[in-house]
Amino acid sequence: MTSRSAAAPDTRPLGTAEAPVPTRRGAEFEGTATVRSRQTVADGVVSLELAPSTGDGEAEPLPLWQPGAHIDVVLPTGVTRQYSLCGPIDAAGHSTRWRIAVLREPHGRGGSQWIHDHVQEGDELRVRGPRNNFPLRPAARYLFVGGGIGITPLLPMIAEAEAAGAEWSLLYGGRTHGSMAFLPELAGYGERVSVRPQDQYGLLDLAGFLGDPDPSALVYCCGPAPLIDAVEAYCATWPSGSLNVERFAAAASAGPADGAAAEQPIEVELRASGMTLTVPPELSVLKAVEEAGVPVLSSCEEGICGSCETPVLDGEVDHRDSLLTEDERAANDTMLICVSRARGGRLVLDL
Amino acid sequence: MTLTQYVRNGWYLGAWSDEIGRTLTQRWITDIPVCFYRLPDQTVTAVEDRCPHRKYPLSLGHLNDEGTLQCDYHGYRFDGQGVCVGVAEQADRPKAALRRFPLVERDGAIWIWPGDPDLADESLLPDTSWLTDPGWTHVHGVVPLKARHMLLLENLLDLTHETFLHPTTIGNAAVAATPIDVTVDGDRVSFSRHMIGIEAPPFYEKSCGLTSPVDRWQDGDFYPPGIFILNIRVAATGTEEPEGFHMKVLYGLTPARGNETHDFYALGRDYLIDDQELTKFQHEQQLAVMQEDVYALEAQEVMYATDPGGKAESSIKSDLAALRGRRAVAKMLAREQREQHEQSEQQGARIPRSRTASV
Repeated sequence: MTSRSAAAPDTRPLGTAEAPVPTRRGAEFEGTATVRSRQTVADGVVSLELAPSTGDGEAEPLPLWQPGAHIDVVLPTGVTRQYSLCGPIDAAGHSTRWRIAVLREPHGRGGSQWIHDHVQEGDELRVRGPRNNFPLRPAARYLFVGGGIGITPLLPMIAEAEAAGAEWSLLYGGRTHGSMAFLPELAGYGERVSVRPQDQYGLLDLAGFLGDPDPSALVYCCGPAPLIDAVEAYCATWPSGSLNVERFAAAASAGPADGAAAEQPIEVELRASGMTLTVPPELSVLKAVEEAGVPVLSSCEEGICGSCETPVLDGEVDHRDSLLTEDERAANDTMLICVSRARGGRLVLDL
Repeated sequence: MTLTQYVRNGWYLGAWSDEIGRTLTQRWITDIPVCFYRLPDQTVTAVEDRCPHRKYPLSLGHLNDEGTLQCDYHGYRFDGQGVCVGVAEQADRPKAALRRFPLVERDGAIWIWPGDPDLADESLLPDTSWLTDPGWTHVHGVVPLKARHMLLLENLLDLTHETFLHPTTIGNAAVAATPIDVTVDGDRVSFSRHMIGIEAPPFYEKSCGLTSPVDRWQDGDFYPPGIFILNIRVAATGTEEPEGFHMKVLYGLTPARGNETHDFYALGRDYLIDDQELTKFQHEQQLAVMQEDVYALEAQEVMYATDPGGKAESSIKSDLAALRGRRAVAKMLAREQREQHEQSEQQGARIPRSRTASV
């Protein structure tokens, strides 16, 4: 999960300007939390409320967090996934209630599926955090744009904007009404919230919602990459720093599609060399190939220069480079082994 | 980069119209010597500049008033279609013909297709109507470059170098600081870079009479293997782009022979088109900027030529358009070589002895 804003983020939370803000950098929580409740909140979406695990002794409360914060959930499978906290906040803009919402992603790397299939009330989960890369900065007016599960970080932001008496509105899109989580919670806000399922309304009317550049407004957007791209394009003429986004997946053009930590080992057969390697998540295919003693050209190791381009004989490539075009990716016959991996867990390379 | 062979199935800028007349003009294109001339009806012709008799350059011969081309070694004569119509020594007409290249003369430019004539498709040429549009004026020419054309291609597809190589004319920090968007449409590679509220580089300040800050747009389109067109728009910050100043730069990146390139250029503008002084200033600046590139590319060529199996290059994000351009050309070349290979396999048994015999 990455977030950015064009200006340096002001981490001072709204409504607590005078209060000392607890900083948790380097002192974040890492341990187990108990699933206090599990609820299905939309088609394919479950929310989990987490509570301190009592273990043998006295339970310490989970750390406070502010809108925009997320936690890591470390699954027994070794997969780590990030989820925004979306529990209710108090008048000071804080919350101790850790609630996350998890969308089942059948084409993901298995993290969300595992949670859907295995996590029940009373179970313990290994968690880390919270961390906040997407803080809500003070403003007179907020325009929130949420797509699908991207609504989660916006929920507490909306609560805080409301508590601070700011003007705000939310444009919330999803595939269908039934797939959109937290609609009952949002219903209480009345006309400030525009719920726009795609099967009824088509693509979100960003122009109508965002209107002309407004220097007094901040735009917060979270959702699928195409939505964020569209909002970025739309806000290109807005004052620098107006737009703040958080991507659940890195930009399609570069970097891992699902967060580097959310990885599985993959198996790579080097047919010409007659060997098969198991490549752990922390190692690139390139490094693994080099360590196996197979010489291969490489240079930038960022998926840009194309030096390490390698013919693919079998297996589906999870392309993470910046160089290949969509057509070249779709052909699935070549890959940049410095950054790209396998979708099905196995690749056969002509090396 | 090991690309030393040239794509031939593609359009290259062979000459400007005003360069070619009744005088025979030799110009090497993709390692082929080409002789350009005009027939009496003013149509332009390009033939391989080797007499089929003993390969003497036809461009050292004569063109008579009827449009007959005569080799000045043993007197082979060719008509406007390149067919041999006689030779001084004997009454029998030798069965020989010159290889003629598909040409398109349009908007003051002569485009040549050095490859398979059956594949020459005029619709692949980009729009160059601004070269003759009465609302525009332009200057043009050709600069010799002792460097392979891929280096020029990469130079043009990554204008980030303006910041460093052309700091006193067209570049400043804003260029390198603004990322580019890159798109690929079929073989064509395009990039765009929009610089908003930047300091105007000196060339634009003087060319447009603008003071900073300005908005500046750069949109480049590379039509592989050898045509590049840059659209430049400059406007006072906050004004609408159509109100601004528009310029276009066309580059014909035409491989000559070995690692030498013809660097054709045309610089056009759609404002103050009668201002001769501005035209002179822009032409001088264009040549000065190109000279800076020539110095750099020729220095770079030496480094590539002396490091043929060298280490892979390091690349950064702003190289993306150039790397895509490189791939586009490499793919065209691979496709062409594959087709040639298949053709020669099919015709293998029928290759005449004379073509396989060594001289």
